Amino acid sequence: MPKILLVEDNEMNRDMLSRRLQRKGYAVVMAQDGEQGLEFARSESPDLILMDISLPKMDGWQVTRFLKSNPETKGIPVIALTAHALSTDRQKAFEIGCDDYDTKPVEFGRLSEKIEHLLVEKSVS
Amino acid sequence: MKLQNLSIKRKLMLITMLTSSVALLLSSASFLIYDLISFRHLLTQDLETQAQIIGYNSAAAMAFKDEPVATATLAALKAKEDIVAAVLYTPDGKIFAQYVPGDKAAPAVVPPKLYRTGYRFEGGYFDVLHDVTLNGEHVGTLLLRSDMREWSRRAKRYALIFFIFVFASGLFALLLSSKLQRMISRPILQLEDTIRIVSANKNYEIRAENTYGDEIGRLMDGFNNMLAEIQQRDTALLNANDQLHARTEELEREVAQRQQAQEELLKAKHAAEEASRAKSAFLANMSHELRTPLNAIIGYSEMLEEETRESGNTEAIQDLQKIQTAGKHLLSLINDVLDLSKIEAGKMTLHLEIFDVPPMIRQIVTTLEPAATKNSNVINVRVAEGVDSMRADITKVRQILVNLVSNACKFTDSGTISVNVEPITAEGQDWIRFEVCDTGIGITPKQRKQLFQEFAQADTSISRKYGGTGLGLAISHRFAQMMNGHIDVESEPGKGSTFTVLLPVEVKSEGQESPSSETTLEPAKPPRPGASNQDTILVIDDDATCRDLMSRSLNKLGLNVILTGSGEEGIELARRMRPFAITLDVLLPDRDGWSVLHELKTDPELSSIPVIMLTIIDNESLALSMGASNYLVKPLDRERLAVLIEKYRAGRSSKSPNRNSSNRTAEKREELAPTKA
Repeated sequence: MPKILLVEDNEMNRDMLSRRLQRKGYAVVMAQDGEQGLEFARSESPDLILMDISLPKMDGWQVTRFLKSNPETKGIPVIALTAHALSTDRQKAFEIGCDDYDTKPVEFGRLSEKIEHLLVEKSVS
Repeated sequence: MKLQNLSIKRKLMLITMLTSSVALLLSSASFLIYDLISFRHLLTQDLETQAQIIGYNSAAAMAFKDEPVATATLAALKAKEDIVAAVLYTPDGKIFAQYVPGDKAAPAVVPPKLYRTGYRFEGGYFDVLHDVTLNGEHVGTLLLRSDMREWSRRAKRYALIFFIFVFASGLFALLLSSKLQRMISRPILQLEDTIRIVSANKNYEIRAENTYGDEIGRLMDGFNNMLAEIQQRDTALLNANDQLHARTEELEREVAQRQQAQEELLKAKHAAEEASRAKSAFLANMSHELRTPLNAIIGYSEMLEEETRESGNTEAIQDLQKIQTAGKHLLSLINDVLDLSKIEAGKMTLHLEIFDVPPMIRQIVTTLEPAATKNSNVINVRVAEGVDSMRADITKVRQILVNLVSNACKFTDSGTISVNVEPITAEGQDWIRFEVCDTGIGITPKQRKQLFQEFAQADTSISRKYGGTGLGLAISHRFAQMMNGHIDVESEPGKGSTFTVLLPVEVKSEGQESPSSETTLEPAKPPRPGASNQDTILVIDDDATCRDLMSRSLNKLGLNVILTGSGEEGIELARRMRPFAITLDVLLPDRDGWSVLHELKTDPELSSIPVIMLTIIDNESLALSMGASNYLVKPLDRERLAVLIEKYRAGRSSKSPNRNSSNRTAEKREELAPTKA
């Protein structure tokens, strides 16, 4: 059962996304802010991370930068989720090292496709 | 002192004096001379008469040689003061008798010899010689000598009178002339005074007082006329000056007013800009705040729908779907408003990249297939040959087309929607034409006018029936304009509409030079030796395996790769080859990567080359603060490296849209990009 770390500060979104992911058959670990997200990424070694960008304490960009510069966590695919549908965000996401990018509100079908795709890619490599 | 420099007054006096003196002198002298001559004549006559008398009285005595009688006769002349000598000569010329007044010496006044008869002036004396006869017989000669005493006395007196008279008349003339010269000199002096005052005070209102009818009077009149003329001109000049001054002041006031107005305008502009910024910020913020609850609404309703479907409660499904539809509609409204506010704030920027057109069209159609089938529409796609890749902002192109196709689906019932894509050449440029035709309700010419304006749907009843904000076309229109293209529409109400989007094959970013069409259509080529440094990248890494890996992956991107294991040599190569980017390992044998980075960034010729630091040590902030453009941690993420390199390469030069490497990246990104429906 693949384990997904969901870093999201909004309670409703966290609850909703986690429940839908669980229903899809994933184990879900939840973090409420950037620092917690970083901590769980190290301690829980998830298979994939869904990273909200506007987070308290430490924003999603920073957390991702840390994760991607650390050899331990570098291999975990990160999907950035942002409410700003700006193409600069998309570009920034790739430059920082995110493996994929999506906007909120999440279109769940599309998001789960991306998750599956990245998990398959990870298991192959 | 020269005569001509004398004042008029003096000259006039001088002239008067000279003239009168000369006239007086001449007349007095002529009178004097005449008087003296006539007086002398009288004296002569008188003396001759006396001589006759004496001659007669002494004739007998002479005849009888009676000398004493003769002398006594002569002595009778004593009464005559002016007789200085009386002599009787014998016919043979000898002195017979003589008389000399007592105070004179005889020899001095008595001529010793007789010379001839008559009278004469000689040596200050007047002599009269008279023949003395007795009965017609010449008996002797009488000489009477006078010293002209009376005459001289008279002459002296005359001279005295003359000088007194001349002096008195001179004085009188002086007095008179000094009075009379004023008749002439006064008006002239008066005129002179007037001129002096006028020129000293520059007062042209003063006039010379003229009470004369002569030439001077006319001169004064002329002068006064001249003054009047000057005054008139002066007044005119002053008036003009005043007017000029007034006009200048007016202009100054006007300038000041304008300046003030300008400042106010500037203030108003700043205020408006500030308000606009605030509005944009507010909208961006609001849209963010709105998305979060929407996220929950859509998510939960979707989730509930799934759960309900599983539990078999089909009645609730439709209601849940309505919630979802409404939520998604709200989301698209927010997106549109956000887009529009960004366009208005000038914050909407183009992110140009090269992408293939056919897959994008397919993707759009696939996405919109459900919308088409909802109204029983069929979508026909025709992509003409020659439509390949283009350089544009893919998100915006997609948004335009999605908008047009979904509009077509919305306003058409049981009809056909055709999407045609073809390349055209117009105005010396290559374009791609996207055409979206439907067989729907169409639009009237009146509606067409405001079709591309914000918040203007063709009809207000439309928004009730079909929904939508009316922003979609306005945004599409603006997007097309931003990419130097345009949207047009042809329509017949009731029969359908055709929207045409024309976009350049290669959209230019602002200020970018237009590349020639040859380079635009240049086919992809493998990297070749001696390629320009725009394709050259320098890899500085001491690990041979690492270098090999880098070389291979970079070659795949169509780059010319220069490899070196030494930092020193790396700097040397950077100077010589001028690569468009450098990757730099931190751990090097000869010197550490930081010092190499420092040297590269402090060299003005090399500082503009982006440096990507590659390392196993995590020290990004140091790298960025030292001027590294990016920082990657080993083991290397090749995709990320490719993205970065493409970015720097695109920044360095405008690339052909057909390059393999570019396409690969673009396609990759396209897959990842969110679809905005």
